[in-house]
This record gives sequence, C-alpha cells and structure tokens, in this order.
Amino acid sequence: MILRKLKNYLFLCLMTLSGVAVLIPLILIITYVIKMGASSLNWQFLTHLPKPVGESGGGMFHAILGTLYLVSLGGFMAIPLGVVLGTYLSELGKGWMATFLRHAIDLFTGIPSIVIGIFAYVLVVVPLKQFSALSGGVALGIIILPVVTRTTEEILKLVSNTTREAGLALGLNRTQVIWHILIKGNRAGIFTGVVLAISRAAGETAPLLFTAFGNSYFSYGLMQPMASLPAQIYTYATSPFEEWQRQAWAGSFVLILLVLGLNLSTRFFMRQKS
Amino acid sequence: MNILQVKNLNAWFGDHHVIKNISLDYMTNTISAIIGPSGCGKSTFIRCLNRIHEEVPSAKATGEVIMQGKNIYDADVVSIRKNIGMVFQKPTPFPAMSILDNVLIGVRLQEKLKKARLMDIAENCLQKAALWDEVKDKLNKPGTSLSGGQQQRLCIARSLALNPPILLMDEPTSALDPIATAKIEELMDNLKKEFTVIIVTHNMQQAARIADFTSFFVLGDLIEHGPSTEIFTNPKNKKTEDYIMGKFG
Ligand SMILES: Nc1ncnc2c1ncn2[C@@H]1O[C@H](COP(=O)(O)OP(=O)(O)OP(=O)(O)O)[C@@H](O)[C@H]1O
Ligand SMILES: [Mg+2]
Repeated sequence: MILRKLKNYLFLCLMTLSGVAVLIPLILIITYVIKMGASSLNWQFLTHLPKPVGESGGGMFHAILGTLYLVSLGGFMAIPLGVVLGTYLSELGKGWMATFLRHAIDLFTGIPSIVIGIFAYVLVVVPLKQFSALSGGVALGIIILPVVTRTTEEILKLVSNTTREAGLALGLNRTQVIWHILIKGNRAGIFTGVVLAISRAAGETAPLLFTAFGNSYFSYGLMQPMASLPAQIYTYATSPFEEWQRQAWAGSFVLILLVLGLNLSTRFFMRQKS
Repeated sequence: MNILQVKNLNAWFGDHHVIKNISLDYMTNTISAIIGPSGCGKSTFIRCLNRIHEEVPSAKATGEVIMQGKNIYDADVVSIRKNIGMVFQKPTPFPAMSILDNVLIGVRLQEKLKKARLMDIAENCLQKAALWDEVKDKLNKPGTSLSGGQQQRLCIARSLALNPPILLMDEPTSALDPIATAKIEELMDNLKKEFTVIIVTHNMQQAARIADFTSFFVLGDLIEHGPSTEIFTNPKNKKTEDYIMGKFG
C-alpha cells in the first residue's frame, strides 16, 4: 500500500520534472526573443523596406509579406494534395502503389530541409534558369505535403468502419461518404495538421536560400526572387552591423508572433465551431 | 403480402461459409426477429439484405433477395440501400455533424429540396423515432452530444428520412440500458404501421415481445422460422427448444 503510493508519488514527480524540463528552454527562448526583439520592433520595421547599410531605420516589410506569400503558395499546392493523398492512403490504400507512396511520404518527412531546398532547386530553379518565388513555394510545399498527408491518413484511420458503413447504408456512394462524413467530420483534426505543417514551413530558412533566394524589395511576381523572414533574419543576424543584428531580433519576434498567432487563432476558431 | 423474399442465400468470408442456403419470406408491416447463438451469422445475414456485406474485403454472397419483385443483387446498389435502411449495434452519429444534418444527410444528397420541406421531413422522422421532444430545441448541437439511447434513436430517424419500406436493425438495443431499450421497443411497434422491420437480437424476451415472426439460426443454417408465439411456446425443432430453454448458445 505504502509502496504503491510512494511509486505513484515518484512517478508524478518525474512527469512534472520532465514537463518543466521541456518548458524551461521554450520559455527562455521566447522571453529572450521578446526582450531582444520588442525593443527594435516599431511601426517602421513592419511597414518599410530595408535601408542601405549605414543609414538607420528601415524594416522588413518585404520579408514579412514574402513569408506570407511563400507559405500561402506552398500551402495552396500542398494542402489539397496532402488531404487527397492522405485520404487515398486511408480509404483505398492497398497494393504496391500505396505502400510505395507511404514509404515515399515517410522518407520526405525525414529529409533535412536543406536537401529539400536542393531538390526544389534542381526541379524548378535549374529548368527556369532563375531564383523565383515559385521555386520557394515548391520547396515549402514539399515540407508541408508529408505532414498534411500523414495527419489526414492517421485521423481518418481512427474513424470506425461502422461509421463508413452507416453512410453507405444510407445510400451514399463512396465519394460522398469520404467527403461529407469522413473529411468534413474530421476537419478540425485535419486542420490541426495543416496548421502544424504551415508553422513549420514558415520558419524554414535552408530550403529558401537557393530557391526564393532573397530580395531587397517586394515583388508580386511568381518568377521573381522573393525575400522571406527566416532568410532575412539569417542574413541580418550574421552581418557585422549592429543595426541589422537588432533588426534580426525584431524579425525573429515577428516570426514567432506570426506562428503563435496562427496556432492560437485556429484553436480559438476550432473551439467556437465545436 | 410478401415484401422481401430471400432465396438460396449463401455468404462467405474468404473460404468461410457463413450463411448456408437460406430461404425466407418477410411480410409487409411486420416485425421479424432473428435469434441464435453468437457467431451463427445473424449479422452477416441481414448485412446481405442491403448488400453492405459485400463492402468487407473477401466477403462474397450468392442467391437472390427479391424486393417488390426485383432481385436486389441485379439492381443498383445505391438505390437498394435508399430503400432498405439499417441501424447498427453501436450508435453511429456522424462526427462533427449537427442533429439536424444527421437526419437530413441522406435526403439532402439525394435531391434538392426547399428548406421548409427539409424541416418537415426532419421533424416527422424525429417524431417517429420518439426523439423530437428531446431535441427540438437543440437541432444544431452535434449528434455526438446526445446520450447513447438518444443517439440510437437519432440513427433510426436518419434511416427513416429516406422513407425506406424496409428497416434492418442489428442488435439496436444491446448497448443501451433497460429504459432506453423500452423506448426503442415502443417506437418499433409504431414503425410497424408504415415499415417492415427485420431485427437481430440476443434478447429472447425482446423477440417474444415485439416480433411477429422469429427465425432461429445456428452456424449459418436456418433451423426454424415461424410466428413468434409458436417459436417461443411450441418449437418444432429440438435445437430451438434447447436454445430457448437456455440449454446451449
Ligand atoms: N469481417 C469479417 N471477416 C471474417 N469473418 C467474419 C467477419 N465478420 C464475421 N465473420 C465470421 O462470420 C461468422 C458469422 O458472424 P456474424 O457476425 O454474422 O455472427 P452473429 O450471429 O452476428 O454473431 P453475434 O451474435 O456475436 O453478433 C463468424 O464465424 C465470424 O467469425
Ligand atoms: Mg452480430
């Protein structure tokens, strides 16, 4: 009896400790970024283009827009495809095609993002002979795709077979069951996977270095190089100029805010719905 | 009048012969029960009657099921299922779907109707399933927020929405408490006026209470079929008698 209680107590302590161990670095990083970033964050930073070295002021307006642009581009390409592939794997996925696809998706999840950058470079930049927003979008899309596919597959696999049969028994065809019952019924879960994937893609630097490349201005052109927050932060943080280093902190702060904001707002939105 | 005639029905899972050459007739506006020991093929049998059986990989069925003069195995499977509703053992409200949408999903996907007409259908079906009074103020709440017994009645309402002449039920009350069970038995008696009901049950008192006819299955064979009063008071087959007396099963 006493031994059981003791074990219980020990285990509880252990779990609390590991929880704290995970939380401490997270909180440290975030507070540090806030501390360093918030002081350099101002209206000009959010709305202006960079100034040449030596001049003070200027901002990362183009990089903020660029990140939103690139992530949306990647999302538009990868999210529908990911949901379709995940649904295919869960609902029809038998035979060698599905096995192959499943392994390919697993492989993609594990590939370092810099390799994905090279892949997009070879796939898009080389044939088109220029760095472009398109190639950056493709690179981010390749990062988003496996996460969305996997989440969709896992979530649909949790649905009991009786639910599918209940749909079929109402005279719905397979497509209707998949769309109206499985996908719509699990939209919250699928959406969580989407947000996760987008948050990850938004913070990637490596795959953008030789695809979207970077730009000191903002252009809407698909075929133009495009700036992004992570790439801009990378350039500024490794520069010798103090003003740029401060802006790199401010950029990190904005990036964290973007990802955090996305996470929180979807959570809020999902809770409202259910 | 016979609404459904089963002729020489056989069913398999792979090589496993589960339903063995069963022939049976069902009369309009009756409730018929299927009883028998676990694993004897009751579920498989009624799943052959709306062709859900064939959705299982490796499952196969042969024979004829004639509904209003037409073999359902020669007809379009989707239209068959609109005419033969099914309620499962576990309540199956669709995830993240409101009570109202649960009831109407079949109708909505079949034809475009005016909103008022849809509301009529929903109210009507929920009334028939004896659920209307309990949910009329929260039709937009998710179906999964109801209790188990309410969910099962929601599933009944959902099947009724397409107005199928035949309703199949596979142990619809086995996951419910006695009060919820009594509610469903009571509503079934009303359903009989409009529908023909075929129900699988493990509960012999239930079969005796609500069913006009009862069939007794053992290991995929139909041992005996007849009016419930006869099956339960004066069975012709020794096996039936033993089963009803609780001697095996
Ligand atoms: N999906 C399946 N795949 C393979 N065999 C199955 C499957 N479902 C059922 N069977 C087999 O078919 C036989 C009949 O099963 P069935 O579910 O029809 O029995 P039942 O009479 O409904 O039993 P219970 O009263 O326990 O519900 C059993 O031997 C069972 O093992
Ligand atoms: Mg069964």
